[in-house]
Amino acid sequence: MTAIATDPPRSAVSSPLERAYARLGVLLIAPTILVFTLVIVYPLLAAIYLSVFSIYTPTLQGGFVGADNYVELLTGKAFWNSLRVTLIWTVGTLTLQIVAGVGLALLLHQNIWFRSLARSLVLFPYFLSTVVAVLVWKWLFNDLYGALNHGLMQLGIIDMPLDWLGSMPNAMIGVILVGAWKYFPFVVIAVLARLQTIPENLYEAARIDGAGPIARFWDITLPQLRSVLTVIILLRAIWDFKEFDLLYLLTGGGPVTSTQTLSLLVYQEAFGLNQMGQAAAYSVGMMLVMLVFMVLYIRQTKEKA
Amino acid sequence: MKLLRPVLLNVFTWSLVFLIAFPLVWMIVTSLKPQSELFRIPPTWIPESVTFEHYWRLLSETPFLRYFRNSVVLATTTTLFVVALGTLGAYSLVRFTYRGRETLALLVLFTYLLPSVVLIIPLYLMMVTLGLSNTLFSLILAHTTFALPYALWLLRSFMEGIPEDLENAALVDGATRIGAFRDVIFPQLLPGIISTALFTFILSWNEYLYALVLVNSDAVAPLTTGVMSMLISAFNIEWSLLMAASVMMSLPLIVVFAFLQSYLTSGFGAGGVKG
Repeated sequence: MTAIATDPPRSAVSSPLERAYARLGVLLIAPTILVFTLVIVYPLLAAIYLSVFSIYTPTLQGGFVGADNYVELLTGKAFWNSLRVTLIWTVGTLTLQIVAGVGLALLLHQNIWFRSLARSLVLFPYFLSTVVAVLVWKWLFNDLYGALNHGLMQLGIIDMPLDWLGSMPNAMIGVILVGAWKYFPFVVIAVLARLQTIPENLYEAARIDGAGPIARFWDITLPQLRSVLTVIILLRAIWDFKEFDLLYLLTGGGPVTSTQTLSLLVYQEAFGLNQMGQAAAYSVGMMLVMLVFMVLYIRQTKEKA
Repeated sequence: MKLLRPVLLNVFTWSLVFLIAFPLVWMIVTSLKPQSELFRIPPTWIPESVTFEHYWRLLSETPFLRYFRNSVVLATTTTLFVVALGTLGAYSLVRFTYRGRETLALLVLFTYLLPSVVLIIPLYLMMVTLGLSNTLFSLILAHTTFALPYALWLLRSFMEGIPEDLENAALVDGATRIGAFRDVIFPQLLPGIISTALFTFILSWNEYLYALVLVNSDAVAPLTTGVMSMLISAFNIEWSLLMAASVMMSLPLIVVFAFLQSYLTSGFGAGGVKG
């Protein structure tokens, strides 16, 4: 503190103490920057660099091909097909997540029996390993012995066992369902937290004005949830868009390429077809599409800060 | 009518909760059914007899315990590494001023949203060149790519929640920055650190893609790829064994849920979803 007292009051920013603090700040972040550069920034730049080469994965041999990989991306069918599949998957599963998430959050906000147990049970799938979720659902979807087909048959909804993951459109419906089941708890938690902060007197005022529960939802709850929902939708859209594990493990992108999202296309190209350069180009293309969502999300979070 | 409404609400909500939890119930039920009962058509919803033979076989006849040990080492090391780096980094990002700080924070957020498949190809090449492929160390490094931005982002929000006056008071009393961090910030941040550590551990425990690409030796495979290989290699898929493996694989999670759940929910508030 003596440093500040004895220092002539030129500018606060350049006082020795401030400068020492800035140095300490840099020192504290330095290990993080080092690791970031090594495992994220360098690979990211390397991916862009690799995308103008043709590399055979097993031998890692190849040569410069210029924009060829990008020409293939733009003119070939693979990228656009996968982009279409990714959008169907994202929109489908996200819509279900939001509807189920908001619905259950509203219910779990009510005073029900064993509320914390109910909340725990609803939360659980989100934290479950995708591998476990997929194994359980594959067993549920099993065409001969699966509980889902038999349950639906006993309830009289279907008369024949369905082939859930091997044919279209069932495979897409299947992955969308499992995705919604796995990820909607995220929406529940975020919405529940927000619901608890809505002032009760807003509802009382509406009740005095004679608004029913449905009117209260549309006029008070939903507008209050708007900002948190925007963030949730953007964040989940980004995460669903890049989802790999769930789709790869459930269908492997099949039947043929009907559920092959962009993440799976990149993996398949790099480690199935052994075309690393082309795969890198696909991944760069995918990142460019995602950049739109990312910029929107970052702007949204900055607005609030 | 006044009495009926809460009952209806409860019944409705709990039916939905049961429907959501059903896959998990079914996982446990299947793991306890004897082989003879498993392939009954239609399936028995409540098992007629209960057996632990699948758990016994899983532990004694399959490499499950080795996968489990690998996952424990992998997730623990990743968590310790990432939380240590992230705590210092977040302290620096929130409480210090220097050039490039805002850009760094933005970079962290950007990487937090980056898809793994973009990094996987260069990381694979890097690990092959360094001779690190098929080691747990390569997986720890790879897990840092998603765990570090995540931990930094969480810890940053937790750090922002600590009043600046506390630290200033310590500084006025003559403490150094590091001393103030140790005595004032760290105790305040501890719940946030625990929450971040739990999230990081779960993320690392559950990760599949990097393990699939970087490790193809059974000796270092973690649970995710290890258990999946048990599914693929089996000629006759042994569902009860796989369900027993799934239950065992979820054990750490069940422990966290039973004792530390509040830390998970507080992590959500901090993780950029504040309304």
